[in-house]
Amino acid sequence: MNAFDPVDVAGPAAPPRSNGEVVFEAPWQQRLFGLTLAMTETAAMPWETFRTRLIGRIAEDEARPYWESWAAALEDVLAASAMLSITDVDTRPNLLVQDTE
Amino acid sequence: MTDDAMATRIEALEELLTEKGLVDPDSVDRLIDHFTHFTQHVGPMNGAKVIARAWVDPAYKRRLLADGTRAIAEFGFGGPVAAMVKVVANTPKIHNVVVCTLCSCYPRALLGLPPNWYTSPAYRSRMVAEPRALLREMGLDLPARVQIRVWDSSAEARFMVLPLRPEGTDNLSEARLAELVTRDAMIGVAEVAWPGP
Repeated sequence: MNAFDPVDVAGPAAPPRSNGEVVFEAPWQQRLFGLTLAMTETAAMPWETFRTRLIGRIAEDEARPYWESWAAALEDVLAASAMLSITDVDTRPNLLVQDTE
Repeated sequence: MTDDAMATRIEALEELLTEKGLVDPDSVDRLIDHFTHFTQHVGPMNGAKVIARAWVDPAYKRRLLADGTRAIAEFGFGGPVAAMVKVVANTPKIHNVVVCTLCSCYPRALLGLPPNWYTSPAYRSRMVAEPRALLREMGLDLPARVQIRVWDSSAEARFMVLPLRPEGTDNLSEARLAELVTRDAMIGVAEVAWPGP
């Protein structure tokens, strides 16, 4: 048993793979993946709760890139459990931009 | 969203979660490292499926050893990089290991990208000159009674090792067996281990 056992290998929620390896096309996708696993590892977020949202987000817009659906699903879970409000995430990038100006 | 916008958003998300004490950035790093390691070693599922089938199906094993390219095509694996696949079977008395002395010929359709050490000059020369010593350094200490055969891959023949099925795995399903097969075992620098249920 390891932390990524629950990650789907096949089916609607499965990450894109090439010859068995999960494909990350940008560093943020890998970071997002690690962040999600870390949330489930501490039991702050049950994997099944996340998975249900992920399937929902993928079904809602199949043209959306996989990892963007993943990000949306993670934010859904956080918002629904009141761990984080969407406003927090929406305003934060602006703060970051202002910081660098 | 653009990649930059997504990168900024995920960074912001991680900062917020860290501030709230919901995640530890070190554990994110650790999980990513662990996952990268995991996919590199257990990722080559195509090859592993072929090996597991050969373990449970003697007729498939015969076809695989007779004509590797045709046998892996039964799974739909193939294409130019899998052309001319030759599979060599380990036995209790013979251990096979694969090298490409000239370059980096490798059955990519089955094993993915080769590991860095596979293409290193040290591996390519030493696996021919002193395979037993090199295998020992890589963690595989073979008894003196086991003969080592070194296969030099080329564009004409890309070798893959059929490892010995570990003892105690008689009751495992083909799918479960495939999970045990590692990339290194299919190159021949490791054996397949069964950690137990």
